[in-house]
Amino acid sequence: MAAQGGAAPSTYTPTPTKKTQRSPFFSDSDVDWLRPDGRGFHQCRAAFFRTGAVNSAAGSAYAEFGNTKVIVSVFGPRESKKAMVYSDVGRLNCNVSYTTFANPARGLGSDNKEFSSMLHKALEGAIMLETFPKTTVDVFALVLESGGSDLPVVISCASLALADAGIMMYDLVAGVSVSCLGRNLIIDPILEEESFQDGSMMITCMPSRYEVTQLTITGEWSTAKLNEAMQLCLDACSKLDKIMRACLEEAASASQD
Amino acid sequence: MGLPDASGDLSSEMEVDAFRRLFPLRYFERHLSESIRPDARPLGRARDTTLALGAVASAHGSALAKIGSTTMLAAIKMEVMTPSTESPDEGSIAIDFHMPPICSPIVRPGRPAEAAPVISKQLSDTISSSGMINLKELSLVSGKAAWMAYLDIYCLDADGALFDAALLSAVAAFSHLQIPIVSLNDDGKIELISEEDDGAKLEVEPVNKEKRKLTLSGIPFSLTCILHKNYILADPTAEEESIMETAVTVVLDSSSRLVSFYKPGGPVLAHTSAVQDCVALTRQRVKELQNILDETLSGMEID
Repeated sequence: MAAQGGAAPSTYTPTPTKKTQRSPFFSDSDVDWLRPDGRGFHQCRAAFFRTGAVNSAAGSAYAEFGNTKVIVSVFGPRESKKAMVYSDVGRLNCNVSYTTFANPARGLGSDNKEFSSMLHKALEGAIMLETFPKTTVDVFALVLESGGSDLPVVISCASLALADAGIMMYDLVAGVSVSCLGRNLIIDPILEEESFQDGSMMITCMPSRYEVTQLTITGEWSTAKLNEAMQLCLDACSKLDKIMRACLEEAASASQD
Repeated sequence: MGLPDASGDLSSEMEVDAFRRLFPLRYFERHLSESIRPDARPLGRARDTTLALGAVASAHGSALAKIGSTTMLAAIKMEVMTPSTESPDEGSIAIDFHMPPICSPIVRPGRPAEAAPVISKQLSDTISSSGMINLKELSLVSGKAAWMAYLDIYCLDADGALFDAALLSAVAAFSHLQIPIVSLNDDGKIELISEEDDGAKLEVEPVNKEKRKLTLSGIPFSLTCILHKNYILADPTAEEESIMETAVTVVLDSSSRLVSFYKPGGPVLAHTSAVQDCVALTRQRVKELQNILDETLSGMEID
């Protein structure tokens, strides 16, 4: 969609871990899975971000990672709902929904309650809620197309939209997920890979502060695998952060002209 | 109406932005009397319009339409169904218009926008009554199988003239639609033939080898105008729509025949001359939109 314009999207593939005795990562016998899009196991999809996608919102961002396409709008700070009790700190309200054509089979395009609450928890720690007392900031995400790793893309995109709206944050939040498939760790899995995974890990973090805002692990993992996956995620997050910052800088310099 | 007089005195010493917020109607009328609008458009001109086809990879036909900042994403998914007994050799179309919370500050999750079902209904009415799509083309096996076309339109950014943008995206999605190839299996059931083994093995005879594209005739295009006093404002923004409430939507087809005309109430009563002016503006706009659609389609063919 928006990918036609602007420079070629950059990638945020993490650098391989330094332990020499383990390299090369995959000997021939190791590889029992070829990624459908021809990527290496530790290679991320090209990431594309653009802020200011929705004019009627206070801030917004569009993200495209391969076939995963999301838009996030931020509204507010605005008056909290009447029913809410008085609060010294601001409130954050998040919602993630899917279009009916997001998945290959036509769905109902409903709200995703689980992702809504995960998005809330991933962002909460990064926002300076005390800067907008008594009011609410709404973060609404729409997944236009689901191509795998939806939640980390939504979270990264939302933090960019918050920055675009001028909401005070300690740092941007970048999210990356890793799937465990048999003996292999694959980063930034697509939909098909997610459906076959034995376990998954998602880290969202504030890369400049080196603080994790959310860590979810599901499935079966060995400690060694966990360590390796965490390193991979953190490294990819810090690279993703650079791409996100570049997008903000580009928008800022464009508005100055 | 004691305020407008007060605003007249204040206007000289108030900042423009403050004046715009406090006395929006006065602010607009000041512009209208100079035959210009706050976004520097003449009264009768529509905003810049762009179209992009194939924006949704997972759909069989899709289009992204932008009129000013109003953005619509339309996608069509085709499914095989059993046709009704009344019309055994016709397929059908289901149109749904969505306004997700991202599109506007007035839409909140769990509380759908009032405008959405209204526009949904208008779109279905317009598309079915324009006769743009021959439903017989959506038939596969008479009485047994036919296509159901699910058209979903998402408003990504709401900045006025929602119906116009939605109709444009719908029409563009239908012209981009590529009907999947299906075959009849041994049990007499319809099966999809995937694109990959399309050339490799074709022992099963496709049912619809030729009919991959719909022939669209009499494509409808629309223009919404705001009536305010004696002024007619084409293609209003959300701000203009909120201040001046009387809207008229005219839908013409590509040979300038009237398909639909909506004037859902409002404080201004339309005179015959105003109605004629709206139709004349729409006629011009239809030519513009037809050109934009043609250019977008020919751009696709080159790729």
